Amino acid sequence: MTLTPKLHTTGRRQTMALSLFLLVQTVGMVFYVGDVISDFRDNPESVHFIFEATVTTALVLGILFGTFALRRTIDLLQAQEQALDVARGALGAVIDRQFQDWALTPAERDVAFLALKGLDVAEIADLRGAAQGTVRAQLTRIYSKAGVSGRAQFAAFFVEDLLGEGVPGPEVPKTAAH
Amino acid sequence: MAPPRTKSHVTLWDPIVRITHWGVAGVVLTNALITKGGSVAHVSLGWGLMALLLLRTVWGVLGPTEARFSAFPPNPIAALRHLRDLVAGRVREYPSHNPAGALMVYAFWVALGLVVATGLVMTGGETPMQVAADKATVETGDWSALIKDSEGETSDQEDSGLRETAEEVHDVAANLLLFLAALHIAGVLIESRALRRNLVAPMLLGERRK
Repeated sequence: MTLTPKLHTTGRRQTMALSLFLLVQTVGMVFYVGDVISDFRDNPESVHFIFEATVTTALVLGILFGTFALRRTIDLLQAQEQALDVARGALGAVIDRQFQDWALTPAERDVAFLALKGLDVAEIADLRGAAQGTVRAQLTRIYSKAGVSGRAQFAAFFVEDLLGEGVPGPEVPKTAAH
Repeated sequence: MAPPRTKSHVTLWDPIVRITHWGVAGVVLTNALITKGGSVAHVSLGWGLMALLLLRTVWGVLGPTEARFSAFPPNPIAALRHLRDLVAGRVREYPSHNPAGALMVYAFWVALGLVVATGLVMTGGETPMQVAADKATVETGDWSALIKDSEGETSDQEDSGLRETAEEVHDVAANLLLFLAALHIAGVLIESRALRRNLVAPMLLGERRK
């Protein structure tokens, strides 16, 4: 959770910097185009005009490409954020369903959520305005309903699914046991 | 766990929209109230305005969905319907500008285009660099810079007639811009109250989520 806002602000800063750069380029381009037009009115055959017109054309093309790149960056950032939202929502739904299966009471559900988020007993008690003993008792009931030994296993219950099958450890002990 | 956000409205405008918005606002106010017409500063800012307007126009075609013209088509009927809804107390969110706001945006676009175009006619299309150079020559006592294009009497007369008209339109458009700006601010305040959310925040730094 701490990582995403950072990613978010970095993305924002990057697009802001790109935009400011694009603005400076555009201002420069407008002045250049004005200059080229007045040169054209003076003497369209001068080397000065031809050279400056070429440079200005390159500048215009660069700005168009820059605009396009900026738009793609913004789209990409938005897509990433949306994917993250979907993942978050999906994980939330999975957790909700599991809590229902375990028949947790509403109070237990809240405590379980906070525990999953990594808060310790004192913090949970603080947030809920309850005594630490109460929270400890609720956690014990949650663990027993979930059939896990403790906090680490409780958290692992949900992370396990996200990790897939890539657990290389057990294979060695398995052969050793046989 | 926070409920998934609904993306029914803009929580933060993209940087180009924000930069051009505040840039245009700054130039219009400065040139209308502070700088002297025809001065190098006034003309330079005018050229800057042209750049901002150009960038925003290109962005209206190439930009992200909410910034594109297709997201806020000019539709007077929808605008009227929106205003009627607003009076009746029914408010709804739009993904981009609301229909009344969209009309305001186009009015701004036209007025800004007029101001820039007439300004160019008034200066004879001279770049700020040339204006500055001309002023410097006049300073030295050489007044010939003032009567640069004397190619014929008829074209001269036409020219001055055109410039006078341009000057009139320039003044009217500038006053129109100030009027539109006041209307725009009133609209934002009313809409913010009706929607119960800060509409200025997305144009500045956006809503802070915790």
